[in-house]
Amino acid sequence: MPRYELALILKQMQRPETAAVLRRTVETLMERGALVRDLENLGERQLPYRMTKHNQRHSRGTYFLVDFYAAPSMLAGLLDHLHRDVDVVRPTVLKKDAQVPNSNCCGPQK
Amino acid sequence: MFQVIGGRSVQAARLLAPRSAVLVEAVRGRKSRTDPVAKSKEGRIKVPPPVDPVEMVVLKERYTEYKLIMRALRLEFKEEVLRKKYEEETGSQAEERARQEAEEHRALMAWNNEENLRMLKARILRVQKEAEEAERKKIEAAIQREQEQQEFIKEKEREILQLQEEVKNFITMENLDQRIEEALDNPKNYNFAVDKEGRVIKQTVLQ
Repeated sequence: MPRYELALILKQMQRPETAAVLRRTVETLMERGALVRDLENLGERQLPYRMTKHNQRHSRGTYFLVDFYAAPSMLAGLLDHLHRDVDVVRPTVLKKDAQVPNSNCCGPQK
Repeated sequence: MFQVIGGRSVQAARLLAPRSAVLVEAVRGRKSRTDPVAKSKEGRIKVPPPVDPVEMVVLKERYTEYKLIMRALRLEFKEEVLRKKYEEETGSQAEERARQEAEEHRALMAWNNEENLRMLKARILRVQKEAEEAERKKIEAAIQREQEQQEFIKEKEREILQLQEEVKNFITMENLDQRIEEALDNPKNYNFAVDKEGRVIKQTVLQ
């Protein structure tokens, strides 16, 4: 199965609500037959520009990164679902390339 | 009435050397046979040209002599031509020449056959060598392919083992909450800076 990456921008919320959103997102993924590999938090930060979604203007958001394995046929449905979620500002699914060996520049900071 | 003449009779008539530029001869043109004769030609009687008997005799003798000589010369030349042709075909030289040509021909044919044999041998050797080469290459290619296949299988097996190791770290229903808490507690920062010497600096701070 090909490997995808979901770059998720969530609304500025309290911690329990963020946890709930993440939980239901991952559960949706698993219901649709995906195999979730890893979940990363890129922090709550200022958005590069103000984004409007669900009649709300957002200037700050939380970035999350979900690696998962999935069938290509379910991506459309998944994106549709995520667009309808009120707490999600912007969902983006990208394909993950095979990692280049011996590259030490693109890793997370310690 | 007068018609311009052309063709074979021209040469003979040209000897009469007419003063006019164009050779003309009397021929029924404007009038047909039933028309009456012209008034100016009523009493005309055709008279052949006068002949001097002495002159005639002399001329006749001279002409016979002349014609005799001319004919003799002509026949002489014709005979010479024929004789030459005959000599060419069935003379004494002809046999020798024919024999020599046959010799040459035989020699050349023999040489040709020699050449052919030599070429044949060379060709057979060459073809054999090429066949062996091709055989060897085929075998080598087969071995190569086998090896590559083996490599491929090994690679895939390695990948499978690696994945099996990684499966232990995947998110499932049970550790979902735990992973979410972990993720929320540890924000990661992938930003870095590079300068012209190639040093990587990972000290960027999140805003």
